[in-house]
Amino acid sequence: MKLKYRVLPVGGIDGAMPLNWVFIDKKDIANAALTDYEAVKVIAEEFKDSAAAVDIVDTEAVSVTSDGIMNPIAVTAIASVDHGMINKTYGFLPISAIPEYEGIYEDEPHMRQWHLPQFKGRELHKGPNNKDRGTERADHNENMTLTGRISNNNCGSEAFDMVNMTEILIFMSAANEIMHDGEVIVKVAGPEISVGIGMIVSERWGRIFGGTNPGRYKPGMSAHNSGVFAKTVKSDYPAIAAPKEIFMKYMLDALDTGLIVGRHLGSSPALLMTAYYYGTPIDLDHISDRAWIELESIGITRELLSKPVKPYTREEMIAHAEEIIPGMKDAKRYKVSEIVAIREAEVKRETIA
Amino acid sequence: MKCMHTKLPDFLAKVQAAGKKLRPETKVSIKGLENIQTAKLASLRVGRIEEEIVEVTEDPEITEVVVEAVPFNPEIIYTIITKGYTADGKCKKAILEDLACSIPTVEHHIIDVEEVVDRRSAGPKQTQF
Repeated sequence: MKLKYRVLPVGGIDGAMPLNWVFIDKKDIANAALTDYEAVKVIAEEFKDSAAAVDIVDTEAVSVTSDGIMNPIAVTAIASVDHGMINKTYGFLPISAIPEYEGIYEDEPHMRQWHLPQFKGRELHKGPNNKDRGTERADHNENMTLTGRISNNNCGSEAFDMVNMTEILIFMSAANEIMHDGEVIVKVAGPEISVGIGMIVSERWGRIFGGTNPGRYKPGMSAHNSGVFAKTVKSDYPAIAAPKEIFMKYMLDALDTGLIVGRHLGSSPALLMTAYYYGTPIDLDHISDRAWIELESIGITRELLSKPVKPYTREEMIAHAEEIIPGMKDAKRYKVSEIVAIREAEVKRETIA
Repeated sequence: MKCMHTKLPDFLAKVQAAGKKLRPETKVSIKGLENIQTAKLASLRVGRIEEEIVEVTEDPEITEVVVEAVPFNPEIIYTIITKGYTADGKCKKAILEDLACSIPTVEHHIIDVEEVVDRRSAGPKQTQF
């Protein structure tokens, strides 16, 4: 029996990859008759002379970005492996499906996207529940796995090598491209992404925040809450994203449902500028003073967003995605087949015992 | 009265003594507790560690013992105290902050080890999958 997996190898993408990052399709785990944890054991054995971050993904499920945009893929477990080992307590983290609980659309208005035809009926995975997190993770522990030098954080979108002290981001939209042999863009994340990832929605069992109660940060607020320093958070680290025209479509789908940026969706630079040029409402008064400090630090001001503009059509928005979505300007574009290796690991009985 | 928790300086001395018990020339060092000046340590576990140090030195090829303390939870939250002192040594102001710090886990410290014996048990419950 063999387990198929994809890997972005360390040193790849013209030297941008600081670590090995493995993606396994849940279907391939089922085809190999393994559990998720057994699959991670197989990958650990594959990397017995090195280390890797591991994301198990379900391409039939959905998840939500930190600013509230639904994507047609979900991470259903994360892991860190180092020299064949998995830390018994912190090395693996399942991320269970979240049921459509009563009151979800009131507490999490961005979840209206779940009714879109392309998402309806698909399983939802965001962050882990209490059982997934286990008994040893404290409240302060992020949704993170750690083994040896590898940390896989925020439910599989950010990984560190804690010895070399390097880091890389892979956005959910990029993970979807990786799993479908599409295309990605790669560049240093920069100030706009740094500010954007702090502008979150409030969620139960979110990928980053929120347990049994919605987190204390609401749309229009910054979870970074660190003023002019926010733009520096990821300014030195590479990020892998979907091409902007693809990400643009996801955002337009969300705005077409009537969701309002700053009130229902996070006030990220990407969403603010997309809503501005698309002519959909932005709740400027709902954006907190602390969030404005971060936005103004990268040139996005209330004055700019209040200037009259002739709205673009959906087609025009997609055509102008590169200019409209702030950050990662002129990023290098790669075919996934150029940067991702598809491999098969031998499943040995002694490995999964 | 039974002393259930050992003083940190006593632990450091016990580590040295245990390491040199069989062969006084054995080099002994302890890493990972450098920033802690005073502490009480679980005595029974201290006793087990003393025995384990002796056990490691029973191999005549062993000439050095290094005892490493690695935090069990590798995502540590520190409280950072920024203190301002006046010329006369008085601490006039302190600001407290949280700082999360993710560190390499125990696995990083045992990569090239020939034989690893895992006797951990008490506090940390291992998650079952």
